[in-house]
Amino acid sequence: MQYLRNAWRQNAVAYLFLAPWLIGLLGLTIIPMGASLYLSFTNYDMFDPAKWVGLSNYIQMFHDPSYFSSVKVTLIYVVISVPAQLMIALGVALLLNRGMRGLRIYRAIFYVPSLFGGSVAIALLWQQLFGGDGVLDQILSYFGIHGINWVDSPSTALYTLIVLALWQFGSPMIIFLAGLKQVPIDLYEAATIDGAGKVKQFFHITFPMLTPIIFFNLVMQIISSFQAFTPAYIVSNGTGGPLNATLFYTLYLYQQGFTDFHMGYASAMAWVLLLAIAVISGMLFLSSKKWVHYGE
Amino acid sequence: MKKLFMAGLSTALVVSLAGCGQSGGSAGASNDSGKKVTISFTWWGDPTRNKVYDQVIAEFEKKYPNITVKAEPTSWADYWTKLSTEMAGGNAPDVIGMHADYASDYARRGTLLNLNSYISSGVINLSDFPQTVTDSGKLNGNTYMVAQGVTTSGQIYNEALFKQMGVSAPTMNWTWDDFVKDATALKQAFVAKGEGTGHWGVDDESGEMQPVFEYYLNQHGKQLFTSDGKLGFTVNDLESWFTMWANLRKQGVIPDAATAAQYTGASVEQSLFANDKVGITAIPANQLYLYQTQMTNTTVGLVREPSTAGGKNGEFVEGAYLAVPEKSPHPKEAAEFINFFVNDTGAGKTFKIEQGEPGSTKIDQIVKPLLTPTEQTEMSFISKTLSLAHADPYPPKGNDQITTDFTQAAQNIAYGKMSIQQASENFMNQANSILAGN
Repeated sequence: MQYLRNAWRQNAVAYLFLAPWLIGLLGLTIIPMGASLYLSFTNYDMFDPAKWVGLSNYIQMFHDPSYFSSVKVTLIYVVISVPAQLMIALGVALLLNRGMRGLRIYRAIFYVPSLFGGSVAIALLWQQLFGGDGVLDQILSYFGIHGINWVDSPSTALYTLIVLALWQFGSPMIIFLAGLKQVPIDLYEAATIDGAGKVKQFFHITFPMLTPIIFFNLVMQIISSFQAFTPAYIVSNGTGGPLNATLFYTLYLYQQGFTDFHMGYASAMAWVLLLAIAVISGMLFLSSKKWVHYGE
Repeated sequence: MKKLFMAGLSTALVVSLAGCGQSGGSAGASNDSGKKVTISFTWWGDPTRNKVYDQVIAEFEKKYPNITVKAEPTSWADYWTKLSTEMAGGNAPDVIGMHADYASDYARRGTLLNLNSYISSGVINLSDFPQTVTDSGKLNGNTYMVAQGVTTSGQIYNEALFKQMGVSAPTMNWTWDDFVKDATALKQAFVAKGEGTGHWGVDDESGEMQPVFEYYLNQHGKQLFTSDGKLGFTVNDLESWFTMWANLRKQGVIPDAATAAQYTGASVEQSLFANDKVGITAIPANQLYLYQTQMTNTTVGLVREPSTAGGKNGEFVEGAYLAVPEKSPHPKEAAEFINFFVNDTGAGKTFKIEQGEPGSTKIDQIVKPLLTPTEQTEMSFISKTLSLAHADPYPPKGNDQITTDFTQAAQNIAYGKMSIQQASENFMNQANSILAGN
């Protein structure tokens, strides 16, 4: 008995300190998730009580052209921006790993865009850079190319947002840098003695040793890219325009939920996104057995 | 240690109780006069406008010492998102700024308080309101909102620019043919001076379902929406509307699709018009003052929306309104506040024509001598056109989505992705299926 009481006392303290997190987990994650799962099977406009409609929200997605364009836009964005961003991050990390003068300053400078890249101010800046009469347009006009409004043309708008994503390679870069520092130097020394050149060393030592880091960055970037929202919201004034060219999945979900009052449909969309990300992550984990090498 | 735990637990309880206090805790206290009551009030506005509202609130609190008003202003862009969430949570402010384009989405969902009993008991006095203005706040015969100010739409033009280009300026009672002619002449003058690129006659208004297309329909004896919530026009009306704009676009009189898209929703100081890049644009008349303040190097003229030769008047009443959520715990105080806002002389003198001509004709007379010359122009335009105006039916549920689809249709044509016929038919199908779901 005495023992039990003591144990409770000790645990109570632990629970007390955990309480803020537990309350957050329950109140901000578990309960809302449960509610949204329920709402996804209802017709709910946020005012009238939710009406049970079974699977019809999920079925409706197959008949909604805007839904398909949002899926397409998001897939293009993920498929292009994630690999390109990782390659840039790795490239810059390799450059910065060569012990040069003022390295810390360079590292900071390359990292800075990631700090404010998702902000409203930068999205607005992008409009100034790539809009009609924008900076890029003016530079191109010196070469006789006139009047391309990159942000507001349906064929190019998405790519300006991809460029914005590429520019924020800072956080994967820092992780790559840390990974590069972990590769044992004696491997390179041995390789040099055996006569392997720099390129060969990269593909036979650096890259295999880095695969766990690459895998980590890949998963994180894919997840966050699927959820991209702010740049498209700001650059297109919340419309996803021109002509749905920047209608990201999350932006369309937001429009459905908060401007069109289709909270049930929006909830269903959220769950499909969650499942899609889970499936893709799962496949990555399965494939990782084939290409990720954890040291020994 | 146990004490500490209990302290933590009780803090958590208090915090969670405080969270749900808003709706539950104060419900009973409302109607006893003499008791201190706090009501909250939200409106859309920028810092300049907010100051005016704050002043009105201060005057109200002086006159009603037992009521405190908590101000919760938001910018227009975030206003409706925030409000819909608050309404859904049942904790919206007691008095809310309302707009006809959104009123139906709220009133038809039963979220706005029916104000009839407060009007008949005299808490809200509408005896100085013209009938059309009172009617513009009604749905199915019940009053859900009270006008702070009413306005109509018009086209403004840049007087100096027209003079400089040697083109005669628009006139008050012009027609759509005049509109096309004047805008084309201005563009040609730009081209002749070698300023053809980057300057146009008029903004691209083809995607503006409310109000410009609505004017066009009214003139043809049609409606945007019928009173039973159906589309009040045919695909042919839409095609002829889009055709007029497509011709203007082909001749370079209006900006290309990408430029037009870029400036859609731009603030006054960033707009093509304020930067002398187009000569004409459509505005709600109560914004004349905003443009004139921005454009110090020219005079801004205001004329009616173009009319259709031999057609009817397109004018209908627009404006900003005050409403009370159904779930407000202090409906009586909210009604008293609304009454003060629209009828009190001091409030009128402070608010002037911030949201258009005051609803009350009495306040109207008091405010008139206090206006600056630009505000006087604005005011006389609104009075003149309001006498021609009627109250259009409230838009049905889903209006917001239909507006978006309309803009899309216009853009599909502008970017050359769809033919006029295709885009028009597509829009009719989309809108009809949204309305069928109501």
